[in-house]
Amino acid sequence: MNIGIASQPSVNLDVVFAALADPTRRAILAQLSAGEASVNEIASPFEMSQPAVSKHLKVLERAGLVTRAVDQQRRPARLNAAPMKDAVAWLEEFREFWAGSFDQLDGLLADLQSPNKKEPGDE
Amino acid sequence: MSDLPVFVIEREFDAPRELVWKTWTEAEHLAHWYGPGVETIIHELSVKPGGVWLNEMKMSERSGYSKSEYTEVSSPERLVMLMSNTDADWNLASNPMMPDWPATLLTVVTFEDLGGRTKMRLEWSPHEASAAEIACFAGAVENLGKGWGAGMELLAQLLADLQT
Repeated sequence: MNIGIASQPSVNLDVVFAALADPTRRAILAQLSAGEASVNEIASPFEMSQPAVSKHLKVLERAGLVTRAVDQQRRPARLNAAPMKDAVAWLEEFREFWAGSFDQLDGLLADLQSPNKKEPGDE
Repeated sequence: MSDLPVFVIEREFDAPRELVWKTWTEAEHLAHWYGPGVETIIHELSVKPGGVWLNEMKMSERSGYSKSEYTEVSSPERLVMLMSNTDADWNLASNPMMPDWPATLLTVVTFEDLGGRTKMRLEWSPHEASAAEIACFAGAVENLGKGWGAGMELLAQLLADLQT
């Protein structure tokens, strides 16, 4: 639920989640992690049309995961990992909230069952 | 209803079911374990249908507040509640970090007796949520669990590489 994240995310995380929810877009990001690439270069390993790649890139751009050079003919796309870092951090904290709570519960249950444990007022 | 995204987390505890049940239904115990690394203050805990759990988590600079309303209490096997983020006055409040996070999550906790051990299962799903809230939750859940798997590892590796 409320599990405070230290840093303010740079973009709306919902947009990032939506962008990351697609396997093709994740593959594009993985490809861009090796370096910037043009639409043509991105399209070739996917056997996808350029307009289809452009559409995916637009979604990634809106999420702030990818930036495009404006002043060049081939407009290479470049990975911008910052929003992804926010998304991953959010998800990690979310999962860890319950995992951490359950670890504490594990300890509490052990204490409650310990034969040496004496409640105040026992005997 | 059935196509709503559900977040599931399960854990086995080496303790009898009645005892695990108590850790959810007695304030002294609940405050002890709920919320890792934070101070949990329970302002009210009335575990019965229509009753509420008003919870404050003190973090370094601020507190997080939540309200849970119990809709089903079947001791010692099933606890159903509607969990919502609230402000300090217990009015429903959206999450500033995730504006489209569902305002209220239907929370089902089941306790299965494994003969001295207990399997606890927690389910979260959006309650009376907007399409945007459901989409946001579905995205998070999908990313968190099944749908991602290798994709998530790839991203984690990617991020680690980018930061070196």
